[in-house]
Amino acid sequence: MAANAPALTFIVLFLPILAAVLAPGLTRFLGDRAAWVLALAPALAFLHFCTFLGEVAGGEVVTGGYAWVPSFNLSFSWFLDGLSLTFALLITGIGTLIVIYSGGYMKGHPDQGRFLAFILLFMGAMLGLVVSDSFLMLFVYWELTSITSFLLIGFDHEREAARRAALQALVVTGGGGLCLLAGLVFLWNITGVTQLSLLVHLENGLRESPFYLAALVLVLAGAFTKSAQFPFHFWLPNAMEAPTPVSAYLHSATMVKAGVYLLMRLNPVMGQTPAWEILLPFFGGITLISGTLLAVRQTDLKLMLAYTTMASLGLLVMLTGFGAPHAVEAAVLYLIAHSLFKGALFMVAGTVDHETGTRDLTKLAGLRAAMPITFGAALLAALSMGGLPLFFGFLAKEEIYTALAAGNPRAVFFTGLAVAGNALMFAIAFAVGLKPFLGPRIETPKHPHEGPAALWLGPVVLAALGLLAALFSGLAHRYVSSPMASAITDQKVTVDITSMPHLGLPLMLSIITMVLGALVYWRLDTARALMVRALENLGPGPDRGFDRLICGLVRLSVAVTRFVQPGRLEIYITATFILLALTLLVPPLVFGELPGVPAWPQNLLVQEAAFLLIALIGILAVVRATDRLTAIVSLGIQGFAVAVIFLLFGAPDLSFTQFMVETLSVVILALVMTRLRLSPRDHRPVGQMLFDAVVATACGLGFTLLLMKSVEAPFDNLLTDFFNAYSKTIAHGANVVNVIIVDFRGTDTLGEIAVVMITGLAVLALIRVRAGSRTGSGEGR
Amino acid sequence: MAAPSTDLSAALVLASPQLADWLVVLPVVLMIGFGAVLMMVRKSVRLHGTIAITGLALLVLLDAALLIRISTYGPITMVMGRWLPPFGIAFTADLFGSLMAFVSAVVALAAGVFALRDIDAGGRRYGFFPFLMLLMAGVSGAFLTGDIFNLYVWFEVLLISSFGLLILGSEPEQIDGALKYAVLNLIGTTLFLIAVGYLYAIFGTLNMADIAGKASRLRETAPLVTLTALFILAFAMKAAAFPVNFWLPASYHTPRITVSALFGGLLTKVGIYALIRVTVMLFPVEREELSFVVAVSAALTMVIGALGALAQNDLRRLVGYVVIAGIGNMMAGVAIGTPAAVSGSILYALHSVVTMTALYLVAGEAARLGGAWSLSGLGGLYRRAPWFSAASLALFLAAAGLPPLSGLWPKVALLKASLDIGAWWLAAAILISAFIVTLALARVFLLAFWRPRPEPAPELAIARDWRIAWPLGCLTALSILFGLFPETVLDLSQRAATGLAEPSAYIRSVFPGGAAP
Amino acid sequence: MEALFAILIGLFFAAAIYLMLSKHTVRILLGVVLLGNGVNLLLFTTGRLTREVPPIIPAGMDALPAGAANPLPQALILTAIVISFSFFAFLLVLTYRAYQELGTDNSDEMRLAEPRDEERPPMGY
Repeated sequence: MAANAPALTFIVLFLPILAAVLAPGLTRFLGDRAAWVLALAPALAFLHFCTFLGEVAGGEVVTGGYAWVPSFNLSFSWFLDGLSLTFALLITGIGTLIVIYSGGYMKGHPDQGRFLAFILLFMGAMLGLVVSDSFLMLFVYWELTSITSFLLIGFDHEREAARRAALQALVVTGGGGLCLLAGLVFLWNITGVTQLSLLVHLENGLRESPFYLAALVLVLAGAFTKSAQFPFHFWLPNAMEAPTPVSAYLHSATMVKAGVYLLMRLNPVMGQTPAWEILLPFFGGITLISGTLLAVRQTDLKLMLAYTTMASLGLLVMLTGFGAPHAVEAAVLYLIAHSLFKGALFMVAGTVDHETGTRDLTKLAGLRAAMPITFGAALLAALSMGGLPLFFGFLAKEEIYTALAAGNPRAVFFTGLAVAGNALMFAIAFAVGLKPFLGPRIETPKHPHEGPAALWLGPVVLAALGLLAALFSGLAHRYVSSPMASAITDQKVTVDITSMPHLGLPLMLSIITMVLGALVYWRLDTARALMVRALENLGPGPDRGFDRLICGLVRLSVAVTRFVQPGRLEIYITATFILLALTLLVPPLVFGELPGVPAWPQNLLVQEAAFLLIALIGILAVVRATDRLTAIVSLGIQGFAVAVIFLLFGAPDLSFTQFMVETLSVVILALVMTRLRLSPRDHRPVGQMLFDAVVATACGLGFTLLLMKSVEAPFDNLLTDFFNAYSKTIAHGANVVNVIIVDFRGTDTLGEIAVVMITGLAVLALIRVRAGSRTGSGEGR
Repeated sequence: MAAPSTDLSAALVLASPQLADWLVVLPVVLMIGFGAVLMMVRKSVRLHGTIAITGLALLVLLDAALLIRISTYGPITMVMGRWLPPFGIAFTADLFGSLMAFVSAVVALAAGVFALRDIDAGGRRYGFFPFLMLLMAGVSGAFLTGDIFNLYVWFEVLLISSFGLLILGSEPEQIDGALKYAVLNLIGTTLFLIAVGYLYAIFGTLNMADIAGKASRLRETAPLVTLTALFILAFAMKAAAFPVNFWLPASYHTPRITVSALFGGLLTKVGIYALIRVTVMLFPVEREELSFVVAVSAALTMVIGALGALAQNDLRRLVGYVVIAGIGNMMAGVAIGTPAAVSGSILYALHSVVTMTALYLVAGEAARLGGAWSLSGLGGLYRRAPWFSAASLALFLAAAGLPPLSGLWPKVALLKASLDIGAWWLAAAILISAFIVTLALARVFLLAFWRPRPEPAPELAIARDWRIAWPLGCLTALSILFGLFPETVLDLSQRAATGLAEPSAYIRSVFPGGAAP
Repeated sequence: MEALFAILIGLFFAAAIYLMLSKHTVRILLGVVLLGNGVNLLLFTTGRLTREVPPIIPAGMDALPAGAANPLPQALILTAIVISFSFFAFLLVLTYRAYQELGTDNSDEMRLAEPRDEERPPMGY
């Protein structure tokens, strides 16, 4: 067993992904029963992780891994301590139930297979995220959860709202992921380690590094976006566009807790600093209170739950960063409790929706008779969420108040926040878990009756676990809570709170919470109306802001693009030559590469001077020419002058070629140009002309100066001497230029011939199409 | 006839070249040969496809053999006409060159197969396949030559071939695009030639190994910074870096989609190749002097490219801007200049060759299925073609640099390298660009794939076609494979970057005796 | 002597660039021709200048006479001339075709590939 454990764990990590690959085929083959088979994958993984419980509870850490990308010091390695093991169990355990639930919920849906595949794919990603030891592996899985979440939110892709929500989630969490990447690379740079397990036990003062704050902010940006902290929270309620299994699984029990996971993971090495203990409670607190307030306003069961999820995440972040004794324990207990009751309540909401055809709270009542099992599960979950004694939620709440309540102003402030938030959550818990089932029946779009086992199994198991875990709290603490809290604080912590109420301040606060919560529940409609009015006065929130951001970004990009890519060749050429002038003139000035004043050539012969002058006149004439023919003739003049210059300076071959080419150019130009009815002149306004002249002169000057500088030093004649020595003796050619072309540098000539050949073909293609049919050159020939 | 006193060993390489040495030149020879054959059978359009695909498949095999050989035994040099370097032209292939050559060949093969369907008889008659072969001759030559003037010649070969491909069909829109492309690229290559001229004036030699060895001696007196700046400008134009990227968005959307795909994958990367070769290997000191300017250009290229992608309605133009954003990333590696950064650039180039080609093919297939090029006209592809959608999504993720695809690793390498030298703003630009590209491509997925078709058109039965599925599938698979198992390529690119920063093996391969005479 | 050539070459480039900055494709074309000549002169100068003695080995000798011109730049120019002429020819035909298709030689009016009023991408989702 021990010898096989690493290989087995490796396989288990890929089990969900394997199941995802099989899902579409299996669904086609087995139909609605496929989910039961596919649920085996997470179930097996769950069992596998259970085998580590004893070891981890004993304070050990299960690690393993394989080399993956040694160049980046990156291995595919996992690291299971109390923290990651708890997460792994939640992911696979709840995952099993969710897969079964999905089978019931998506029954008969044509894309059921695809849906199951995405869910399982997400599961694989999430599992990888929490067990990752290497930074980059964590990042890879982190983004994978964002991507699978994108696919799942947009599952119902023909509705615009779903598409918008999917994009929103991707933009917010994906963008946060990029920040996280930067933060992780920062950590890598600061510490030189690439593994979380090494980082956590690092002694050499990450907190003292000047880059600590930058790394912290980047990591927090990643964690806060993923865990829907204010002001990045808006994507989470919109993510409820996804089918309910997704909401239950990704957007309450697992994925949104990834940010919290990361904070908990980094607590030993980045925590306990002023920045940490200010930023986390501050953002967490705001998120808690705004989440609960927004939840009160809703009537949609899923949205109410979504906003309380946001609030719970805020509470968790607040606790993680609070820094008092018991705060981490409270976070641990609340995280577990929340995963259980919120998962259950979401599934209940989904079942109600599925069976009645609506999830509007105001249109639901009296379902207890029609759906007794669902009602039971809902009640149990709501009791846990409300934090009543005997339930795990109660334990969590007691611990929260134990941690928060203290004499200093900061503690009083956050205790107040927690009481208010918890009271509102209490109200929502019963609004969702109780209201639809009590009272007289209201007619619903569909006739409700109890769903199949697949639909009630999940809620019942999770809700029951919330009770059992509290009843057998000793066991739960020993194997789950204590190891997890120890991992977060990096020291041995024993959680020992039980479900028996103890007299004291925490209990007092609990009672206040429940009384307040009951009050709100009783006057929920009034509270909702109040909130609606208050929010209307506040104006548009970040959700509208997202639309504006996207539209604004697109508009900005259109404006920028039109500016830098205006579609006019003239501007393109001008910009290019301005850049050329800068390239040629600025470096010589900055780096002292200007030439000295050259000596005037003393023995300039008359004919040389004459032809240099003729060439000059030729180019001036081309520039100044007022009609085409003059321009072309002048072009010929400068060309022939250049040819003569070549001849004068010992290059007869060149001279001959230049004559040929120049003649051809002039003849063809004359032939072609006279066939076009072109306006003879250049119509540049004077200002434009001056500007162009300045640019052109600057470029010319740059070329001149660079050439003068380049030829200042004595020339290295090595190559020339070689050609001289062997041109005749080995290559048997007297004309050295020709020998170079055909022998020493024959390959250039090969390329040159290729160019000529291709030009011919290209010109042919250009001309022929015109001669051929204009009409038929499009599609389908 | 040779005078008996002549010492042949002072002029010629007397040992006959080994089989492996031939590998360095064979890619070019093969492509020119196939190009010539195709021109000879220009009228027999039916034969073109078979001949061209055979040629490209052979090219892939040759380049693979070359790559394996070089990764095992180091750089190989073959001199043309047996003249001793630096006097004759030497072809020198190192890891960098052979990696690029291999990936380019793979992409060209994929595009060639895609062309079997996309290029109609008219396009073939006007020379699509010969142009393709000669384009590849130019590309291979550029990657494998060790002589800088010869590099210029191969640049011209591939440029003129690209002209031919660009105007196939001669639509008015194409002619407009081709004119801008031709004029601006002509300026770019002319600047390259001018820079080579200055280089010759200073060094008196054209062999790159020779130049690399001599640069340190001339650094005191010669205007090497200005010269390097000129080279950077010329290659930045070829690579379409901001602010000389105009020609790319002006033209890449006008030709047949296969041609766009080839261009998007290959041409800009040849520019990047030359940029890296010249700045990192030949003029590292000067590159360091200019690094800030290059870094600014890189950051702007990334952001402008990403914004440009977001601003487009036409899918092809959108992909064009994604190409530009990628160029910025590669420039960033050049700006940083450490071996780690350069290896990031090389990695990015390899990834970009595959991904950008594939993205254009995606655009082509989307237009075939959806009947429009524009985001406003497309829709419903997700329901209609699930496998195609999956491949597209994978490629979008790759282009955006998200895991687990090929774009992630170069991004990580560049991010790390820029933070290593404290250039946090460059790192920020990389991330901002990645973010905007993600947004732009996610919008494509939303609008063209997820959204139902804007106006329900009669559903034409469009058959699956292996000539589309195979190229697209294989390129996507390559991207995924590289994303999941990056180590081999990563290791190669790191070795390639080290070989550029410390080119002693390159120089030794050209001058076995050590330095140049 | 090189300095004199450098100045002439600078003027060639200046003139070429001035012409290419025009809106009219025909003038751009003239600029391209001048640019090519400028580049050729530049390459010629880079090998340093000598007078009149061509790099041809006289009969009966095994090497060039003293003071012969540097042959390598000449070989490079020969390659470059042919290539630049090919490009010129292609550009010329392209310009001609552009005129035929688009009815203008004003590059400002050639807005088919990048139309002035291009549609924006959809703003929705």
